[in-house]
Amino acid sequence: MSLKNILENWSHYRRAHEEGGHHEYEHMWGMAIDLNKCTGCNACSVACYAENNLPTVGKDRMRKGQGLHWLRMERYWDEPDLGGDDKEYQERGGSFLPMMCQHCNAATCEPVCPVAATYHTPDGLNAQVYNRCIGSRYCSNNCPYRLRYFNFYSYYEESWPEPLNMQLNPDLSVRDKGVMEKCTFCIQRIRTGKDAAQREGREVKDGDVVTACAQTCPTEAIVFGDLLDKDAQVTKLWKAQEVELGRAKQDKSDGELRGYRVLEGLNTDPCVMYMDRVREA
Amino acid sequence: MSGSDINRRDFLKFMGLGGVGAATLSGCDMPTTITLEEGKEKVVAYLAPEEYAIPGIGVTFASTCKQCPSGCGVHGRVREGRVLKLEGNPDALNGKGLCQMGQASLQGHYNPDRITQPMARKGGALEPVTWEEAWKLMKEKASGAAQGRSAWFTGTVSGHQSVLLSALNKAWGSKDHYVYEAINNAVGEAVNKSVLGDAAPAYRLDKAKVVLSFGADFLGTWVSPVHFSREYSKFRTGDRGVLIQVEPKMTLTGGNADLWVAARPGTEGVVALGVANVLLSKNQVDGKQLPQAALDVISQYGVDKVTEISGVPGDTLVRIAKYLNERSPSLVLSGESAHGHANGYQNAMAAMMLNVLLGNVGETIEASNSMAFDELKAKHGNSKAMLDFAAAADAGKYDVVFFTGANPVYTAPDHLAMAEKVAKVPFKVALSMFPDETTMAADLVLPLSSPYEEWGTSVSPYQPTDAAISMSQPLMKPLSAETKSLGDILLSMLKYQGIKDYEGFDDYYAYLRSELDGLPGSVKAGKDGDEFWSAAVQRGVIKVPTKAGSLKVNLGDVSPGGHQSGGDYPMHLIPSSNQTMYDGRNANLPWLQEAPDQITKIFWDSWVEMHPKAAAKLGVKEGDFVRVESDQGAVEAQVYIYKGVHVNAVAIPVGRGHEEYGRYAKGNGVNPLKILSSIVDGKSGELATHATRVRISKVGRSEELPRLGGSEVQVGRRLVNTVSADVFKRTEGA
Repeated sequence: MSLKNILENWSHYRRAHEEGGHHEYEHMWGMAIDLNKCTGCNACSVACYAENNLPTVGKDRMRKGQGLHWLRMERYWDEPDLGGDDKEYQERGGSFLPMMCQHCNAATCEPVCPVAATYHTPDGLNAQVYNRCIGSRYCSNNCPYRLRYFNFYSYYEESWPEPLNMQLNPDLSVRDKGVMEKCTFCIQRIRTGKDAAQREGREVKDGDVVTACAQTCPTEAIVFGDLLDKDAQVTKLWKAQEVELGRAKQDKSDGELRGYRVLEGLNTDPCVMYMDRVREA
Repeated sequence: MSGSDINRRDFLKFMGLGGVGAATLSGCDMPTTITLEEGKEKVVAYLAPEEYAIPGIGVTFASTCKQCPSGCGVHGRVREGRVLKLEGNPDALNGKGLCQMGQASLQGHYNPDRITQPMARKGGALEPVTWEEAWKLMKEKASGAAQGRSAWFTGTVSGHQSVLLSALNKAWGSKDHYVYEAINNAVGEAVNKSVLGDAAPAYRLDKAKVVLSFGADFLGTWVSPVHFSREYSKFRTGDRGVLIQVEPKMTLTGGNADLWVAARPGTEGVVALGVANVLLSKNQVDGKQLPQAALDVISQYGVDKVTEISGVPGDTLVRIAKYLNERSPSLVLSGESAHGHANGYQNAMAAMMLNVLLGNVGETIEASNSMAFDELKAKHGNSKAMLDFAAAADAGKYDVVFFTGANPVYTAPDHLAMAEKVAKVPFKVALSMFPDETTMAADLVLPLSSPYEEWGTSVSPYQPTDAAISMSQPLMKPLSAETKSLGDILLSMLKYQGIKDYEGFDDYYAYLRSELDGLPGSVKAGKDGDEFWSAAVQRGVIKVPTKAGSLKVNLGDVSPGGHQSGGDYPMHLIPSSNQTMYDGRNANLPWLQEAPDQITKIFWDSWVEMHPKAAAKLGVKEGDFVRVESDQGAVEAQVYIYKGVHVNAVAIPVGRGHEEYGRYAKGNGVNPLKILSSIVDGKSGELATHATRVRISKVGRSEELPRLGGSEVQVGRRLVNTVSADVFKRTEGA
């Protein structure tokens, strides 16, 4: 791909994912997160630590931003220039945002990997092949959501002193120094769900696969499923909110519908739809 | 067994037919997830598998979470004989969900600092001993205790453990069982009991259209957070309810409020009276529900006076009253920050008065159906128990005290001198999983198994509608051969005391089997012993009949009580509880140490929350260390500045600053409970945790705060957009 080609066909490349047809997807795993229900309780994040063998890195490394929280609960305060007012107190509480890999269909992290360690699976997942990863960190640099986490150290000895290591989930590996990692949409659960369906000679149905975060959520704010499955709850939610994959700009019949994707304007086409926080007045 | 339809026997047959081993398993259609980590893991022989071990397949078993007193039902996923992950039990009160404490309770089970063998104090230090030696010591020092000279000091207990504890106390002629919880709703329960005749009525958040909460952090630490989170979800759907939170420091619930109101600590009752005043005078709400005495008090608290006392602006009071008047039914709650004062009882009473005025009793506050078996009910802790114990221990009332499930040496304020008073007891036995402060002060330490290694029954203190007994079953073999369950130790002690009723039981399991066998036929639904037991263990809960409750309304005195001036100590100290550390028991769980606080996003350390104006006045910026000094002592921590704390208050989270309790907890942060002043709630006798006054000074040191994320605001990126409730109702309202 020459520079000339890129420049001449820029708009084609930028919008190529909207045309579709270049992938035959078996599934398109996606999420809908209702910020009206999410309370920011952080159960999802700890459930993710438990499910995905995430190491704890300690105070100093956390402070340097080296924590490996695949799902982090962000909290923002209202600010005057966004409709909040500059009163003496934070009258409308906080804005909580559970952020995990958005599994973009036009992922900015994928094309920059020099060794194709990060790629798109036929399930629509943005996957990371640990064995291929050489730790260039280009992907992390290119992720607008800052949701890729690098193993600056080997954590397996200090993070899981015996017998804590017995809790490690054998369905996925413990990553070592020099490897990039991130939310996989609990790929091990997807695999288990698909295996079970295959064994029973049927298609995967809605509810067969639930991610750890969605399963533990006390308010059921997180809904996970296959966006290609018309009957899936997640598909219905996306449809009701008139949010569609493969569109840079959603063309909604009602501008007040709550569904949106974070930083949609960057054209990354994420598979995670959020629904606006709601407040009285 | 749920979660997998494969029966172990079928699986073995299938494996036998194929004649395959691990090496060829990956070729067939079974999940390709057998791991031989670095060749270290043993290849499991399929012909003689261990119990639970179905290589590659996770199986779920039901049990009960004991990380906080709520007692949520869990499903533990077990693979190759290890429990790997917990999920909520859909059949239990908590339903599908589980909070971060529940998720992290696994790290308590697998904690590297667990006590693995009995220890006895020899020449000043605790040293490992055998169980024979431990029992010998018990025999010498404990079982000979004179009638009435022994006591138990525990956290919340229920189920058959509670039955055995009572039996044991009876055998020793002691009535003294101190049930302590640092985080409790005791003041609220006292008011409920007095006004409604029901200490724990059902709070129907799901039915309410407005919730006005005076410091009740029902999404975080109040009563039964996972259950209330599920109710909250319904409350916010369809015809979306309004949440108003009045408190001096933003809790998780406050962070989700439509209107968060900072009231001067201790003036919550005054705010409630002011709201009632507006409702009666401005909104013409009929006051006939209230006794004349209450109406007289309310009439004295006009808007201006309330604003002067509480610092809550008049228009805010009017706005709150407007919501309450226009949307019905409502629900008024009170919690920790309103209760923890010398006038805590009055604050809770004033909140209850609003419920009566607005006609919520019987609407959103329903009578709880109490379970039929009184002896199994939860004995829910409070902090008065700790004060009483301190006095009794100081007076030399006991020769022997048994501690389990509570850590008073850590949570007691310095003015109680708990360590010294505990030391006055000649023989202290700690039955404990961890080397916490109280355990390390004991003379004999008996190692307990984890909640996921033992059989048991428990009953949640808060059971609003259905009553159920929660089952605990081992999710795996004990990690250490030397640990015993509390039930087994109690049973051994009873047998040793020669109590005939218990002689026939080999262990606690046998006792439980027999007890559940003896439940009436109405509970067993026609099932025989084995069948009933299997069903109970499989489901994780036994639904039991209830006695229908009823509520009366007998409102007490609603005058708000005096407000103390600070004198030399101008600021209020808020020792805030949160879900990460809870009352300090979670400090040994690395996942929760690393989990950022829900509001400030700080991890692994303590901090001091200050309002921007207070910080500017003192001349400190984020990350600066300050010294917070009360009449009982001082702590130092870094400042976090935001508009979620009252301008005259500082908040320090509870739960860190351990001197013991293992590698993750020890020497990490500070403990604000230590500097609490000696103040109790006048009516209930509860420790007034939020009544301490402090002065703040600069230390002159600064460091980057250990906090998640760089930006506190979205800087125009609209990561979280907000729409108005009107829009929500138009597009999605039911």
